[in-house]
Amino acid sequence: MITVADLTKRFGSKLAVDHLGFDVRPGVVTGFLGPNGSGKSTTMRCMLDLDRSQSGTTLFDGRPYRSLHRPLHEVGALLDAGYVHPGRSGRNHLRWLAASNGIARRRVDEVLELVGLGSVGGARVRSYSLGMKQRLGLAGVLLGDPHTVILDEPANGLDPEGIRWIRDVLTHLAGQGRTVLVSSHQLSEISLMANDLVVIGQGRLIEQCTVADFVDRHADRWVRVKSPAVAGFASTLSAAGGEVVAVDDTTLDVHGLACEQVGELAAREAIVLHELSPQTGSLEDAFLKVTAAAQEYRSAAMGGGA
Amino acid sequence: MINLLRAEWIKLRTVTMNWVLGIIALAFPLVVALLTAYFRGDDTGFNTLTTRDYVGVLTGTSVVSALLCGVVAAASITAEYGFGTIRPTFAATPKRLHVVLAKGAVAVGFGMVLATIVQLIGWFAGSAIADGRGATMDLAFADTAVPAMVGTVLLTGMMALAGYSLGMITRSTPAAVSILIVWPLIAEGLVGGLLGLILDDSDVGRWMPFQAGIRMAVLDLNDGGPTRLAAGIYFGAVALALASLGAWSVNRRDA
Repeated sequence: MITVADLTKRFGSKLAVDHLGFDVRPGVVTGFLGPNGSGKSTTMRCMLDLDRSQSGTTLFDGRPYRSLHRPLHEVGALLDAGYVHPGRSGRNHLRWLAASNGIARRRVDEVLELVGLGSVGGARVRSYSLGMKQRLGLAGVLLGDPHTVILDEPANGLDPEGIRWIRDVLTHLAGQGRTVLVSSHQLSEISLMANDLVVIGQGRLIEQCTVADFVDRHADRWVRVKSPAVAGFASTLSAAGGEVVAVDDTTLDVHGLACEQVGELAAREAIVLHELSPQTGSLEDAFLKVTAAAQEYRSAAMGGGA
Repeated sequence: MINLLRAEWIKLRTVTMNWVLGIIALAFPLVVALLTAYFRGDDTGFNTLTTRDYVGVLTGTSVVSALLCGVVAAASITAEYGFGTIRPTFAATPKRLHVVLAKGAVAVGFGMVLATIVQLIGWFAGSAIADGRGATMDLAFADTAVPAMVGTVLLTGMMALAGYSLGMITRSTPAAVSILIVWPLIAEGLVGGLLGLILDDSDVGRWMPFQAGIRMAVLDLNDGGPTRLAAGIYFGAVALALASLGAWSVNRRDA
């Protein structure tokens, strides 16, 4: 269990984390989401006491991080796969980590095999791809067999097999009752592996809930209608108060009307339907909607030139 | 603490640059001293090698080794900040001062062991070569030889501590190494000379920290400057003060 309370971190005049508080419960994967610059990485660094916060506490099973005697046995963290000396081999990187917490050397080879780097453990890290560095970082996380895992963008640089592998690892760890907090920009990945969400923007908590609740509350809902006679039916739907968007010659998306209402209208007009299905927006849609006001860096629209 | 010392030793010995600098620090004084023993060991010439000359060459060139050990010590912490490995280091050991202590102990220990090896090999191999060439060397011939050799070992340890401290303060390899090399070799001479002019005291330069430290490795100190012991205590105190400042900075700032 991780308990973050009233965490505040300021860099000069910039307030990066603003009285942030949330809980991460064991047994599930918790996604930590926020737009770029929202303070996710800073929060994670403050949680591990790497950045000195101005106020607030983070407790791991009731204890602050700095009080942990051998933290790698309790909390495994991967904040950046690049935090490795390029001239050192992957195996030696893990060896010093293991030595610092009294972990046996054989465990280093075990975790290297576990992450699929057994054959390249002796190679210098400068020859590793980003995906290999991510795997090495994850090996470091697993070194002490911790009951809490914190990962910042673990899928960065991984190929599809690696992304699936990391998803399986995290859900497996959570299934064993461990506490797993993972930040990612790949919302489709989060939606596949996370049960809970912590969403922040501009350093403040926007929402903490389950993924299902989040999507339920914030994602758009509409009805998809497929029919060989959509042209006439569109005006009927509009007259009934629906907002109709033509997807193609035979498909409409109807906002503002329930599935049952659309079905009854079709029956009344004797229109043949090939599809009538409720649709829900994705986690990505919900996330963009919720964080719209908290976006620090916005992209310009493409193709909208003068 | 034993675990931390092991971790820091693994870090030190698994970086190629440390091996390269260590080998240079080991080889440079030995090569120069042993060549001196070989080429000037012939007592038939007018330029016969004396024990004092030989130890002077050995300890004098060992000052370069001390500086190189300072560079290794500085890089042991600046590289951690440069490559970001300080974060996993502090994540693995949240009590930062324990890390600071272990890292410093390994860096200083590395320097002092290396300097001891240089002095022992330098003396025994050098005297054997000189004996073979007909010259006789005996430490009893030079009463300040042993203190200078011991002083060289202590100087190397203090230089490593100073380098490590500068690394903690600057967090930058170029900055720490520049200060470590430029300050004793150039800046102290200029500052000492300037202070000498202002204070009308030509001895003030001998009290510049690094110059005082280097006096530990010098055979003849009959110049009115600080004694070997006083110079050692003074430079050691400066290095400890820098270390305290560095440790405070590391503990206080974001990793």
